[in-house]
Amino acid sequence: MSKHDITLNVNGKKYELTVNSNELLLNVLRDKLFLTGSKYGCGIAECGACTILKDDESYFACMVPAVAADGWNITTVEGLADGDKLNPVQQAFIDNSAIQCGFCVPGMVVTSTALLRENPDPDEDFVKDYLRGNFCRCTGYVAMVKSVLDAASKMKEAK
Amino acid sequence: MKNFEFIKAPDVKAALALLDKEKDNAYLVAGSTNAMVDIRAGKVNDRTLIGIRDIEALSGIKFSRGKITIGAGTTISEIAESSLLAKKAPVLFQAANQFADPTTRNSATIGGNIANASPAADTAPPLLALKAEVVIAKKGSKRRVAMEDFFLGVNKTVLEKDELILAIEFSANPHSAFYKVGLRNAMAISVVTAAASVRKDKDGNITDVAIALGSVAPKPVRAFNAEKAVLGKKADEKTIADLMKAVSKDISPIDDVRASAEYRKDIAPVIVKRVFCKACGICPNEGRTK
Ligand SMILES: Cc1cc2nc3c(=O)[nH]c(=O)nc-3n(C[C@H](O)[C@H](O)[C@H](O)COP(=O)(O)OP(=O)(O)OC[C@H]3O[C@@H](n4cnc5c(N)ncnc54)[C@H](O)[C@@H]3O)c2cc1C
Ligand code: FES
Ligand code: FES
Repeated sequence: MSKHDITLNVNGKKYELTVNSNELLLNVLRDKLFLTGSKYGCGIAECGACTILKDDESYFACMVPAVAADGWNITTVEGLADGDKLNPVQQAFIDNSAIQCGFCVPGMVVTSTALLRENPDPDEDFVKDYLRGNFCRCTGYVAMVKSVLDAASKMKEAK
Repeated sequence: MKNFEFIKAPDVKAALALLDKEKDNAYLVAGSTNAMVDIRAGKVNDRTLIGIRDIEALSGIKFSRGKITIGAGTTISEIAESSLLAKKAPVLFQAANQFADPTTRNSATIGGNIANASPAADTAPPLLALKAEVVIAKKGSKRRVAMEDFFLGVNKTVLEKDELILAIEFSANPHSAFYKVGLRNAMAISVVTAAASVRKDKDGNITDVAIALGSVAPKPVRAFNAEKAVLGKKADEKTIADLMKAVSKDISPIDDVRASAEYRKDIAPVIVKRVFCKACGICPNEGRTK
C-alpha cells in the first residue's frame, strides 16, 4: 500500500494531505480534518448519511477513495452556514421540526442544498424523488420534504 | 478498509499504459459505485485501481450527422439531464431518469454500467435497442464491438483485462422507449426492463426494429423472435398479439430474491408491448394512433 499526496479544498480551505491508497474520502474528512458532520451509515451508497458536495453536486463520501478526490472542491455540512447564519435548508429543518435523532440530517441537508441549486422551484414530487437516496429512520420524511419546500419559497422571497 | 492501490490516471493514454503495465492486477474504476461495493465484499483484494473518473476526454455527449457518441465516463446524471437525448434517444434518457438516486447518478457512468454487465444494468436494454456500438481501446489499438456481442454472461463481457471503453455510439432514434419494473419506485434494482426502437415507412410499415430486455436472462438480451414478429408489418392488434406471444422464446428468467421466473415470464410480454407501442407512438391498449 502506498502513500499519496493530495490536495482537497474543503469548505473554502485548502488542505495538503498524505493519505493511504485505500483510505476513503469520508474517513479523511472525519478522522483527519475532524469534520464529523458527515456520518458513516452503510458504506455502500445505500443510506446517504455521508453526502457531501463536490462543486454543486452531491456525492457519497463513503464511495470515493480519497486519492480519487485529489483536487476536488468539497463542501460538507459544516460549510453550509455563512458564519452564524444557517443556510435556508438548515433553518427550515429547525423551523419545521424536521429533526429527531439527527443522524441522517447532515446528509439530508446537503442533498437538499444540491437539490435547490439544481432546481430552485421544486414541487413536492420532485423533492421526494430527489431525496430517495437519503434514509431517515425517525421522522417519516414529511417534515423534511416540507422543510425543503419552505426553504425554496423563503429563498424566492429573499430575491 | 480492504487493501488496494489507487492510481489516478490523468488522461486516456496514461490509463492505457497503466492497464498494459499492471495487466491482471489492474482494475478500472470510474464512478466506483459498483467497485466500492465489490471492494467491501472482498471481491477485489490487493488490486491496483486505476481511477479514470476525472478524465475529460472520456466524458460528454456529442451529436453529428445523425450519430450520437457518449463518452464512457459520462455520468448517468448527464444523460438524465440531456435535452439532446430526450429528443433523439428517449429510450436511454428515460432509463437514466429512473436510475438509482440523484447522488449515485452523479457518480455512476455509462461505461461502468455496461462493463459491470449486471443482467439488470439499466442502460443495457436501451443501448441494445439503439443497436449501439462500443468503442474499445488498448495500448496501440482500437476496436468496435456491437452491443449485442458485448455481453457474455453475468458480469462477463468481451473486454480484455488491458482494455478500456472509450465511448458508445449509435444512430439517433426519437421513436424509442423504455420501461422498468422494480419492487418499488425509488432505488430499486430492476425486476424486468424493456426497451424498443422502431423505424416506419410512410405507410406505417415497420422497416426496422430492435427490442431488448433486462433481468430475464444471464445477460441483457435482444428479443430477436419478438422483432421478427413485427418487422415489415403495421403496428395493429394482430401484430401486437404476435409480438407478445414471441417474447417467451427470447427469455430464460430465473427465480431470485426480487421475483420468480414465472412472474417475469408473465410481465415480460406486457412491458414489451408497452415499449413497442410507445416507440410506435400508439396507445398500447387500443393499438391505434393517439
Ligand atoms: C445505491 C446504488 C444504486 C444503484 N442503482 C442502479 C440502477 O438503478 N440501475 C443500474 O443499472 N445500476 C445501478 N447501480 C449499479 C451502478 O451504479 C452502475 O452499474 C454504474 O453505472 C456503474 O458505473 P461506475 O462508473 O460507478 O462504475 P465503477 O464501479 O467505477 O466500475 C464498474 C465496473 O466497470 C469497469 N469499468 C468502468 N469504466 C470502464 C471503462 N471505461 N472501460 C472498461 N471498464 C470500465 C470497472 O473496472 C468495474 O469492473 C446502483 C449502485 C448503487 C451503489
Ligand atoms: S455511509 Fe455513505 S451512503 Fe451510507
Ligand atoms: S432523524 Fe433520525 S434518522 Fe433521520
